[in-house]
Amino acid sequence: MKATVTVKYFEEGEVKDGELMMNGMRSFIFLAAIIFLFSLPAAAFGHGVNIEYQTTKAVEFTASYDTGEPVSNGQVTIYSPDDPSTPWKTGQCDEKGRFTFTPDPSMQGTWDIQVRKAGHGGMIHVNVDGEEAVAGSTGYTTTQIVLMVACVVWGLIGTALFFKRRKN
Amino acid sequence: MKKFYYMAVLLTFLAAILAGCGSGGTGDRAEQSENKTGTLQFTANGEDFVRQGFTSKDGWDVSFNHVYVNLADITAYQSDPPYDAHAGGEVQAATKTIIPGAHTVDLAAGDQNALPILVSEKEVPVGHYNAISWQMLKASEGPAQGYSLVIAGAAVKNGKTVNFTLKNEKEYKYTGGEFIGDQRKGIVQEGGNTDLEMTFHFDHIFGDAGTPADDELNVGAPGFAPFAGLAADGNVEINMAGLKEKLSPEDYQKLETMLTTLGHVGEGHCYCEVL
Repeated sequence: MKATVTVKYFEEGEVKDGELMMNGMRSFIFLAAIIFLFSLPAAAFGHGVNIEYQTTKAVEFTASYDTGEPVSNGQVTIYSPDDPSTPWKTGQCDEKGRFTFTPDPSMQGTWDIQVRKAGHGGMIHVNVDGEEAVAGSTGYTTTQIVLMVACVVWGLIGTALFFKRRKN
Repeated sequence: MKKFYYMAVLLTFLAAILAGCGSGGTGDRAEQSENKTGTLQFTANGEDFVRQGFTSKDGWDVSFNHVYVNLADITAYQSDPPYDAHAGGEVQAATKTIIPGAHTVDLAAGDQNALPILVSEKEVPVGHYNAISWQMLKASEGPAQGYSLVIAGAAVKNGKTVNFTLKNEKEYKYTGGEFIGDQRKGIVQEGGNTDLEMTFHFDHIFGDAGTPADDELNVGAPGFAPFAGLAADGNVEINMAGLKEKLSPEDYQKLETMLTTLGHVGEGHCYCEVL
C-alpha cells in the first residue's frame, strides 16, 4: 500500500478594503473631529475590541492511499527551507486526509511535507517563492509581462505625442 | 520628434530590464561546496518484523534465524527534482555517490533491539541525499551464494513448528526517494555523520495479523500457510523455481508481486525493476 499525496493551494482571509470619499476640506475637518472625539473615550473604557487582519497564503493538501482511501488522521511533519533537519510543524490530517498550514512567507524555497500512517507514508515538496509561487501562478510569463509593460509605455508616449502635435 | 522616439526606445528597454529582474532569482536550496565533506553511512534494516518476529496473516508466529540480502551498486543521490518512486524511472541528480561491490548482510543479526545493519560508509560532499537505489543480486560467495535473498527461520501454530529456508534466485533493483520515518535522514553536513537506510518489509510476504484482514497488504500477501503446506517432517527448504512448481499459481503470483514491494526507504515505497 502506498501513500500518495496531492496538493492544492488556496488563498485564505482575502478581505476587500472599503473606500471612504469626502468632498471638500470642510467635510474632511468635520470627519476628523468626529473620529478624534470618538477615539478618546474608547481608550478609557478598556473594553473595546481591536481587530486587525492580514491576508495570508495557505497550503492545503490531501493524503490518500493508492486505493483512493484517505490517510485518515495521518501524522504530518513539515520541514521549512531554512532548517530541513528539524520539523517546523507537526500535526495530524483530518478524517478525510486533509491538512492545512500557512508557510512563513519569510522562508522562501522548498517546503517538505511528510505524511505517515501505520508503517506507510509519502512526502511532497511544495515550492514557496514569494507571492507568485504561493498563489500557484499569476498566469503570465516573463515575455508576456515585458510585452504588456512595453505596450503601456508606448501608449503613454503616443498620447503625449498626440497632444504635442495638437498644440503645435 | 526624434527626441520622443529615443525616449520611447529607452523606456521600453528599461521596462524589459525591470521585468526581467523581477522574474529571476528562484534559488531553491543553498548551493553546496564540493570541497566540504561529511560521512554518509548506508544501513540495511529488516525492522522489528525480522528482529522480533511477528504473527502472519494466517496465524503463524514467524521468527527469523537469518535473513540474508545481497546488496550491490548502492547509490545515494542528491536528486533534483526530488525522486518520485510512484512515477518510477531514473533519478535526476548532479551529485551521487556509489558504494562499489556487493555486500551480503544478515538483517536478523543481533538481538531483538539491534540497530539497523551497517553496510558501508563513505566520505561524501555535503548536501541532502534524498534518494537511494540498490540492486539485490545473486551472491557469488558467502552464506547466500547463488541467491539474492535467503530467509531462514521457524514458524509455530497450534503447537506445530515448521523450520523454513526460502531462497530467491531472482534479482531486483529498488529505487526510493527520501526516507520516510521519525527522523529525517541523508542530510550531510561538513564533518558530520548521517545515514541512509535500505528498509525491507517482510510483512509484505507473510502478511500481518496486526493489520485488518481486508487491508491491501494482507490481501496481497501469500501468508505463511502456503509454505507450511510444503513442509515434510516439519522442514521446508526451497527456491523460487521449486515454489513456482509447488505453490498454487495464485500464491506464486502473490509472492512474485510482493517481492517487488520488499524494498523501502523507511515507510516510503521504492520503485522496483526485476532484472
